[in-house]
Amino acid sequence: MDKPTPASVVSTPRIAIIGNPNVGKSTIFNQLTGLNQKIGNYPGVTVDKKVGLMNYKGNSYQIIDLPGTYSLYPNSEDEIIANRVLSQTNQAEKPEFVLMVIDSSQLSRGLFLATQLIDLGLSLAIVLNMSDLATKRNITIKTFEIFKALGVPILSTDARGEKGLDQIRDLIHTRNFSKKGSFIAIDEVVPERLLDEVQSKFDLPNQYQAYQMLRFGRVDKVIPLEGRDWIKSKLESLDFDLSAAQLEETKIRYRKITKIVESAVVKEIPDQKATSGLDGVFLHPVFGYVIFAAILLIIFQAIFAWASVPMDLIDGFFAELSGRVRDVLPAGPISSLISEGIIPGIGGVVIFIPQIAMLFGFLAILEDTGYMSRVVFLMDRWMRPYGLHGKSVVPLISGVACAIPGVMAARNIGNWKEKIITIMVTPLMSCSARLPVYVILIGLVVPDKNIGFINLQALTLLGLYFLGIVGVLGTALLLKNILKTTEKSFLMVELPSYRAPRWWDVILTMYNKSKTFVMEAGKVILAISVILWVLASYGPPSRMDEIRISSEAKLAIATNPEQEEQIQTETSSLLLENSFIGIMGRGIEPVIRPLGYDWKIGIALIASFAAREVFVSTIATIYSIGGDPEDDLTIRQKLNQQIRPNGDKVYNIATAFSLMVFYAFAMQCMSTVAVVYRETKSWKWPLIQTAYMTGLAYLSAFIVYQILS
Amino acid sequence: MLITADQITVTQTAIIKEILDSPLKLNLMELGFMPGKAITLKFSAPMGGPMAFQIDETILALRKNEASLIQVQLP
Repeated sequence: MDKPTPASVVSTPRIAIIGNPNVGKSTIFNQLTGLNQKIGNYPGVTVDKKVGLMNYKGNSYQIIDLPGTYSLYPNSEDEIIANRVLSQTNQAEKPEFVLMVIDSSQLSRGLFLATQLIDLGLSLAIVLNMSDLATKRNITIKTFEIFKALGVPILSTDARGEKGLDQIRDLIHTRNFSKKGSFIAIDEVVPERLLDEVQSKFDLPNQYQAYQMLRFGRVDKVIPLEGRDWIKSKLESLDFDLSAAQLEETKIRYRKITKIVESAVVKEIPDQKATSGLDGVFLHPVFGYVIFAAILLIIFQAIFAWASVPMDLIDGFFAELSGRVRDVLPAGPISSLISEGIIPGIGGVVIFIPQIAMLFGFLAILEDTGYMSRVVFLMDRWMRPYGLHGKSVVPLISGVACAIPGVMAARNIGNWKEKIITIMVTPLMSCSARLPVYVILIGLVVPDKNIGFINLQALTLLGLYFLGIVGVLGTALLLKNILKTTEKSFLMVELPSYRAPRWWDVILTMYNKSKTFVMEAGKVILAISVILWVLASYGPPSRMDEIRISSEAKLAIATNPEQEEQIQTETSSLLLENSFIGIMGRGIEPVIRPLGYDWKIGIALIASFAAREVFVSTIATIYSIGGDPEDDLTIRQKLNQQIRPNGDKVYNIATAFSLMVFYAFAMQCMSTVAVVYRETKSWKWPLIQTAYMTGLAYLSAFIVYQILS
Repeated sequence: MLITADQITVTQTAIIKEILDSPLKLNLMELGFMPGKAITLKFSAPMGGPMAFQIDETILALRKNEASLIQVQLP
């Protein structure tokens, strides 16, 4: 084994891993770095920056996982990032070595990118991955032929097993990378004078990087405006057709690669039977959709059945913790802030983890097996009329469990307009947090009767889910006509061969997605929870003190524990009514009266602004429902007894339906707002979205109440 | 006979003659739709949905619009 050069002992060498999508690049990254990963952001884009540490034979190496890309053309954020990292002039950020992963059954496409990297003048080594699949397809690759043609080290591995992984570690350890002048002569397609000018203007090491700068410089916001304008005016003054040059470059490159592939690949009869056979079923015009629906059903069944267990545990744990803290700390605002503001606030973030982790687990399995691109294939035609993309299906479906992972999954959509529309409409899908609100209200006003074999309550619930879908499609249609873009929508997606999921990758995805959510959205959610706590626990001091004093006086003369509990629940109800939220609830009463709500419902609306499921517990506090506020029956009985001044029930059919429709459309979820902010990188979209959804909810609830009352 | 790829029927194979000019020309070429290559239509989603072509060892799905940019020659 060669000894590493002394220079590297001082600083940690940086190695970037790059490759086409679906070549097992992330698996190699995961296996090299294990849990030593950090996920960050590249400035200005939503592409995740994945950096990990590899420890091998006493040395540390920083490994950067670049997004999967077919080439270095600026088609998507992913490719801009890949190019920016690889060709940047900042020495502190630039990776010293590049490991290019190529799927051995798709050699020419991999070599297309690899030779571009050679032209960039990078220190490169190639890993030919998944040779087992190539063997199955009777493909033999003479790696020496490729080495002869390219002049960079090349390694055959199968990253799905451990085989070959130590070879990769050794390769990195011994710095077995090499820099090879250039693969094609770019001055054949671009005037040399122009290249030289760009090269000296931006201080670039070679002509190909100058050529890249010509293409990327105009769109990459990292380049100073002056530089971008300079490139623009240079191209205009020379009247140089850049896209023609790109085409020419592509042709020359492919021609040379085809020669290499012809000499290196020995192909028997290609065996495509397995994938074609499965696709005959999975892509069938009828059964394909039936299977898709069945898979969805299984996933939701699993999420609702399995996620509820850890969610209840988390809920119980934080309730217990609050109680403990209240008992331990001396009574006062600090104890109350921690036990009623901060701990439930953190609990409100953590409670989403089981759903997010499980949903992303399932999505990762579908992605990894290759099924996901089949879904895109099947659904694209049905999404397009609404300004959505085949890839929008995943976020929308996730939205039925929880909008947060849904919005997070929208980043795979390349087209800006389609991504924004998907993010804007996903929270309109009926998520699981709406369920407790629906269940209480349906139980209150819809009789538990059957018409034929259809249960009326179930039918109402189904109707509410359907309403969510109508909201999604209608809003998408509206946005399709409002949003303007010059970006052309297209679908070019590979249908990879089916394969077994790589469980380690699935687990890492679950872990990383949950962590991202807690770290980034968690801050906003916690802040809003504390604000809401302040508003709900404080009011005009004189009035609040008065309530407390009279409650203590009553408690002093109480004779038994039941009476004491009764007084305490009444007191908390009175305190809430007179808190700032209570005052706000009364304040908005004139606005919500046309929807059939009184000021008590107003309080619940405001209190549940951060999380819609809070509606149930707030209602329980307002109507002084003692005992277990989660017990649907007690709440229902209590609500049924609420009478308006004119003697009618507060929760009649009109009000209950108006409330259900309101909750179907209203945003009422700070976590979603925080995630939309994170994914769109601006407050513009979450604010428009919240205003729109609240407006839609108000208008629809108004119409429903006016018709039914 | 020269036609575009959106007009071939399932299981039919054709040879790519040219990629027609459009902003997507480059994207198609980098995916491997190069003149001279053989493509086979493997599947077609219902109601004018995307089409899945096999090219070399890969299956690639395109919308009809994109497929109509690929000029092919039937054998």
